[in-house]
Amino acid sequence: MERLLAVWVEEIATESPEGGTVRMNIALNEALTLLCPFTEIIRLGLFVLPVRGPSRFFGGEEAVLHAVLQCVFDITSRRARVGIAEGLFCAELAAKAELVIAPGESEAFRRTQPLEALGRKDLAATGHRLGIHSVGAFADIAPARIAERFNRHAFVLHRVARGELSELPGQRDTSLTRRITRLNDSGESVREQLGFFGQRGAGEIRAEEAAKRVRHRLGPESIQVANVAAGRTPQDRTAMVPWGSPAAIRDSGAPWPGQVGHPSPVTALRHPITVQLRDEFDQPIRVGERGLLSAAPAYIMFTPPQRRSITWHAGPWPLVERWWQQSRRRAQMQILLDGGEAMLLANENQAWWLTGIYD
Amino acid sequence: MFASAHPRPTLSAELIAKVRPIALATTKTLPLGEPWRGMVSSGALRRGTTTVVDAAPGQGGLSLALGLVGAASMKGHWVGVVGVDDPGVVAMTDLGVDLRRVLFVPRPRGAWAESTADLLDGVDLVIVRPPSIPAHGAVRKLMDRVRERGAVLIALSEPRSPWPLPADLSFKIAHSEWRASSRLEGRQVTIVLGGRGSAHNSTEHVVMLPSALGKGEK
Repeated sequence: MERLLAVWVEEIATESPEGGTVRMNIALNEALTLLCPFTEIIRLGLFVLPVRGPSRFFGGEEAVLHAVLQCVFDITSRRARVGIAEGLFCAELAAKAELVIAPGESEAFRRTQPLEALGRKDLAATGHRLGIHSVGAFADIAPARIAERFNRHAFVLHRVARGELSELPGQRDTSLTRRITRLNDSGESVREQLGFFGQRGAGEIRAEEAAKRVRHRLGPESIQVANVAAGRTPQDRTAMVPWGSPAAIRDSGAPWPGQVGHPSPVTALRHPITVQLRDEFDQPIRVGERGLLSAAPAYIMFTPPQRRSITWHAGPWPLVERWWQQSRRRAQMQILLDGGEAMLLANENQAWWLTGIYD
Repeated sequence: MFASAHPRPTLSAELIAKVRPIALATTKTLPLGEPWRGMVSSGALRRGTTTVVDAAPGQGGLSLALGLVGAASMKGHWVGVVGVDDPGVVAMTDLGVDLRRVLFVPRPRGAWAESTADLLDGVDLVIVRPPSIPAHGAVRKLMDRVRERGAVLIALSEPRSPWPLPADLSFKIAHSEWRASSRLEGRQVTIVLGGRGSAHNSTEHVVMLPSALGKGEK
């Protein structure tokens, strides 16, 4: 399970009658996104970010925690509770308890939690009657026995307790993303003025004038910025958008470089190129049911016809599945060509795509 | 973090836009990060100079160029990137580039030199990868513009589109090899440093670019 840093800000977790809570959440989400582009808002007041990348960048998890706490304080003037653990379920509990769970210890941490941590009173009541008081004790019940003693909700919770699922049903507010998108759309002009260019200094005004000249010369799409602030998926969040345009949320439907980890390809193809992989007998390479390759790839073919030898490959790795795209089965693979170039490929529905080049 | 207690400058935008970087700059150099700082005698990029990064495609030239601007970008300087299609923004962040202050002109078509010149007026550093063979005259004009504006130009030179004029500083990737185990871990590149009248002519350096952390590293 992915190691996550959870941020819990209780004061902005419930909507106040005078409004502003959602906007405060949005502001905080955007600020945290600048620290880590893969920050997600789970529900009001709860944010998570994968901690591996940022901790390398900031120089340790401790440093990331400090940066996050400072960031929350700067934006909301509140003190956040933060914690680190594997999987969303444990990460939220760790944050509320203000704990950093050492790598690999999340299971033990989960097992010691009281049954109430699973979030259902009826389940906890039944459990206590049976003498089951902790998540661990609940997890130890054989799955077949669950139906005999608990109601239908218990199946999923049992899987969470066993660590087969990383989050509770209902832990995420799935309607929140929609609301945020709607609010952002209505506040577009504000975003253009303040979002990217934030606090306007002289350097920024000069840059803006230069950008206008280029746009005048080459057209509205010609000058772009990396949009790290808006969007739903990590890929959307790092999309390129025309400078000065409202941040558009787009999905080309094609696979993207994702979670292979560092180093990351320095060229990430916005429109991945379809390629073919062949083994040494010139047979197409397929990804099998269990995520294994049909043979070792020996050649890659680009269109227009160009054939290069592959000297090394790694993967395929199934793409870390995220809740909004569970229906998509994707895998990624790294290859080295005979000329020493490194590339990132993606496979979806048995088609191969070139998605990144490590130039 | 974003809020400011300071009132906004009262100068008009047009006026501020006309102020030259050299007048705003507190120093005549832009900072270089590790591992580059130790390679260059001044330990920084001098304003008004052009640096050429010479590498075959896929050998790490782009990573090197981005690595060179990382420290300045982090310090608040604006960066322009011309002719680099589909930049990998995660990799850029890893190399230390602050994406909030980067303007991209990914596909300048025939007007790469003109758009580079436009950007040189407004940002402190410009990375340019000419999409076609750069003409002698256009390059000379650009390098003059860099001097005049006190900016820093970093030009990517590839065998297919070599930079035609000698630069103040040049990084040539002589050799590049990936380290890999169960995945790509980092690339070891051998860099030959050169440049006009510099003390470090033809010194050789070996760095990891990117390292396992995505950064540049000795």
